[in-house]
Amino acid sequence: MHIPDGILPASIIVAGYATTGGVTWYSLRQIKRDKNPQANIPKASLLTAAFFVASWIHIPVPPVSVHLILNGLLGTILGYYAFPAILIGLFFQAVMFQHGGLSTLGVNATMFGIPAILAYHLFRLCHKVGKNNSVWTGMFAFLSGAGGLGLSVVIFFLLVITNIPANIDAAMERNVIYGLVLAHIPLMLIEGAFTAAVTLFLMRVKPELLKQ
Amino acid sequence: MNSQWKTIIPFVVISVFGASTKAIAHGVRMQARETQAIEVNAEYDNGEPMAEAQVTVYAPNDPATPWLEGTTDNNGNFVFAPDSSQSGNWSIQVRQAGHGSIVNIPVEGNQAQAGGNGTTEAESSVSGVANTRTNFTPLQTILMGATGVWGFIGTALFFMRGNKSNSELRRSESQR
Repeated sequence: MHIPDGILPASIIVAGYATTGGVTWYSLRQIKRDKNPQANIPKASLLTAAFFVASWIHIPVPPVSVHLILNGLLGTILGYYAFPAILIGLFFQAVMFQHGGLSTLGVNATMFGIPAILAYHLFRLCHKVGKNNSVWTGMFAFLSGAGGLGLSVVIFFLLVITNIPANIDAAMERNVIYGLVLAHIPLMLIEGAFTAAVTLFLMRVKPELLKQ
Repeated sequence: MNSQWKTIIPFVVISVFGASTKAIAHGVRMQARETQAIEVNAEYDNGEPMAEAQVTVYAPNDPATPWLEGTTDNNGNFVFAPDSSQSGNWSIQVRQAGHGSIVNIPVEGNQAQAGGNGTTEAESSVSGVANTRTNFTPLQTILMGATGVWGFIGTALFFMRGNKSNSELRRSESQR
């Protein structure tokens, strides 16, 4: 679902970089407020590695195939660390495997990173409503994992559907975009379940990792 | 004399029409000739062909206006013959569902006057292969991925080492 070079107009690419710059600054400011900002870096770094290789794991949803993204998982577990983690992961994906593109790095980081931060806030609601048992945690983690990806898919959909060049067959392009977006619904369920499983596992073996 | 002509005339007719290379029958005129073509193959990075993706070809002399539009076949292939009078970089864009790529392929055109009858014949040659894919073997890809992952793990280990000196801080945090 990464947007490659040459698909979007220059104005959106610039806007993507501007948004990414702003959100990165805001995320780093939030991270700096931590008592020990370095304490969460090992966790963030390991999840960046997971994000980096997740795009290799393809899941066939006939007639297309989709790949894992895991931005909801990163948001749920890392909080504001998720945005720089996703930015770094996307940079290496673009440079090493031409997955996405350097010109669209800003757009892709916005598309995956902002939903990740929102997924984190959704997951935090679980503590706010005072439900700390594993059923509620699992449910909120599922919603965060699935919702983070779902919001990214919506942003992707809006970006590509409003930027179909005039010279190509718009109806045909729209149909394949609908197909690709619908194929991400099973992936949302998979990533939601995966996020819930990881969160419940961490809650049992190392609950301090979930505390922000 | 008369019988002699009867045997010669069919041979004359056959030899006149036989010299023509065009097939003429009931108003259909066909001509086949060899030409230079560009073959495009597009696939996703997991190796799946981009079937029925939209292809737009831009000629070197007008890179803003599409010169040809079409779709790839089920194997992600698209073949077209460039206008041999235009030399330079032909741009081919393949796009499907917000994914796609642009490839530039240089075509050298040789315009030569075929003397006498005033027509211009042009020959072109496609020089080389243009590729947007990085042709890494699976082993190279795995190695690159592994080095990337090791970089992240190394970062994690480095900052965990730093954390040990702050273990007291962590302990006080976990007690709270």
